[in-house]
Amino acid sequence: MVSITPTALGARDRVSRAPRGARRTGTAYLFLAPFLVLFCVFVLAPCVYGLWISLHNWNPLLPNQPFIGLKNYIDLFTPGTLTSGNFWESMLATGIFTVASVPFLIVIPIGLAQLLNRRIAGGTVFRAVFFAPYVLGVAVIGVIWKYLLDPQVGVVNHVLGMLGLPANTPWTVDVPWAWVSLVGVTVWWTMGFNTVILLAGLKGINAELYDAASVDGAGAARKFFSVTLPGLRPVMTFVTTLTILASANMFGQSYIITGGHPGNQTRTAIMYISDEGLSQNQMGAASAMSYILFAILAVISIINFRLQRDTTK
Amino acid sequence: MKKGMARRAIAATLAIGVGITLAACSGSGGGDTGGSVKAGDYSGPKVTVTFWNGWTGGAAPVLVPKLVKKFNAEHKNIVVKDVPMEWGDIAKKMPLAVKAGKGPDLAVGHGDDIATYAAQGLLLKSDSIVKSLGYTDSDFPAGLMKDGNYNGSQYGIPWSVTPLGLYVNKDVLKQAGLDPSNLPTDKQSYLAALQALKAKGIQGEWVDGFVFTGTFEFESLLWQYGGELFNDDVSKATFNSDAGVKALTWMTDLIKNGYSPSNVAQDGNINALVASKTAFNWNGVWQTTNTALSKVDWTAVPVPQIGDQKAVWSSSTHWMFMNNKGQDKNKTSAAATFVKWMNDHSSGWAETGELPAANSVRNDPALVQKYPNLKPFLEELPYAHYETVAPGITNVEATITTAVNEAVLGKKTPKQALDDAVKQANQLLEQNKSQYGG
Repeated sequence: MVSITPTALGARDRVSRAPRGARRTGTAYLFLAPFLVLFCVFVLAPCVYGLWISLHNWNPLLPNQPFIGLKNYIDLFTPGTLTSGNFWESMLATGIFTVASVPFLIVIPIGLAQLLNRRIAGGTVFRAVFFAPYVLGVAVIGVIWKYLLDPQVGVVNHVLGMLGLPANTPWTVDVPWAWVSLVGVTVWWTMGFNTVILLAGLKGINAELYDAASVDGAGAARKFFSVTLPGLRPVMTFVTTLTILASANMFGQSYIITGGHPGNQTRTAIMYISDEGLSQNQMGAASAMSYILFAILAVISIINFRLQRDTTK
Repeated sequence: MKKGMARRAIAATLAIGVGITLAACSGSGGGDTGGSVKAGDYSGPKVTVTFWNGWTGGAAPVLVPKLVKKFNAEHKNIVVKDVPMEWGDIAKKMPLAVKAGKGPDLAVGHGDDIATYAAQGLLLKSDSIVKSLGYTDSDFPAGLMKDGNYNGSQYGIPWSVTPLGLYVNKDVLKQAGLDPSNLPTDKQSYLAALQALKAKGIQGEWVDGFVFTGTFEFESLLWQYGGELFNDDVSKATFNSDAGVKALTWMTDLIKNGYSPSNVAQDGNINALVASKTAFNWNGVWQTTNTALSKVDWTAVPVPQIGDQKAVWSSSTHWMFMNNKGQDKNKTSAAATFVKWMNDHSSGWAETGELPAANSVRNDPALVQKYPNLKPFLEELPYAHYETVAPGITNVEATITTAVNEAVLGKKTPKQALDDAVKQANQLLEQNKSQYGG
């Protein structure tokens, strides 16, 4: 869409393309500059500095930060070291959470968006209702659900008991129930955001395509798979990538609702990294872990983009 | 990815800041005593003493300003500036602030933070201050002065102690036909009470696997069985000893034998006691100020002796004189005057659910008369155990909670959980040693 414009302009002004293009580029850079400066100072520079830190035994409270080369990284891949067991346990926790939450965070919002896309009475109200939890901070939803899900005095178990169901499920204390809680709370909390994005995507699909499909005798399912899903492709790529990254960076829910327990089984990677770096003051090891997490997420994002790339063009 | 980067950016920016600060100020280490205090009050020129503390909740926000105001009125040449903030914020801000010369002159810290601060060179050695104030070990509960001592130097002066006790819901006891005036003191009587409660379908003690208060209960039991958390020079963890295994097995057996439900949530036990669902809870003296408790007929007694000897967990807080870059000796002297005055006027501190550390105040019969709930906790102090003194020890202590949590939730046997935790703890101790030294 957007890519057409420069080509068309370029073809028309073939003679004067070079100088005007340069000026155009210059203007663009000028407008981008403020963000670029912020990006360099607050993202790029710290990233590079973090890489440097990860090569040291870096305790910010002490006067000396000895250079130790790749030891922080090697330790993470050597079983039995202080960090490796904890780190990979936390990566497993992050993995479990991501695999368990992302499908729900995609499928449920698609369904909701489909429903909200119909002209139903009170559609706006429902849209607001589904989106409402998202405006709350993680501290708020965390504390609320910690109380609601409390195994002994929580409302959830109390209600289950009144319905004649088991009333002693350890929702916040033991796995696998803790995972059910964490995933459930996160889905409830953030599905509204994905729903709204996907709803916008649905509205962008040309209604004539549905009419044409109907004329060709397509049923609801066929329309969904042949018109809706392909039409949502760019939006889906965006939503999936963002959801995977958000789930992989989960911190607050575990921190507040389960405290990382039982043992350290629900302690996510970000939770362990922040503990290692900010509480235990092992910045070097924490930076190394961040880089490994970053590398893994980068690979997953690239695979995701490849998989969802439009192969018809 | 964006979030992760932001997080890294924050971490790295913080690290840059620290790096610059560290480069700017040279050297560290204990530092000499900044200021001599004479037996009487500080008599130098007028100074302002900045005082950081974590007293943000309960009765403290009303009480402390009152005390400070009174002190300032009585001392024309000293102005104490009270700066309360969350304990967590203090821990974060203190190192940078002190290194930059912008920290407080005086602060209150927990017993297990003192060595960490001292090893970073944030604290002044206060041996001569202690001496000039006339304090000796016998002015405080047994072993408490030692809790502020690191590498042979005194860095802290005791302020308060907070032992664990046994909270009892008397109504629940009566339901089981037990006499609330004859409360359990040892293993036999405790088990008998739990058995009587169980016969009435009441789970008498809800065992939890969290710091508050499963870890404190485990540590109390370990000491009762004659164990220690660490060896003498805190180079090896020893909480997987027989005593440790016995202590943790006692807790898991309570669950196994049906005296406790499984999977108790954090604070689930004190909430259950308030809701009259259970009879006993091992909890800290701070719960005496819990307003929810007033809804039930409760009392507290010293924790029963389950093991071979009496012992109970207690935490403590201490005054610390800060080693700011270019610390003004007059301010430190004035701070010492304030410390002495506060300890002398600490009887009101009981209002906050903590026991004043000064024996002279605590042993005054007026204290128990005014705060009868504190009596059992005061009785426990002769055999209380305080925090371990070693730099970075709080990180190591976290492994104990992991073990207690895993065992209480039945993920591992007590022995296995403790062995695994000790392995991790020893690695952390080694790391602490290599970073903080001796």
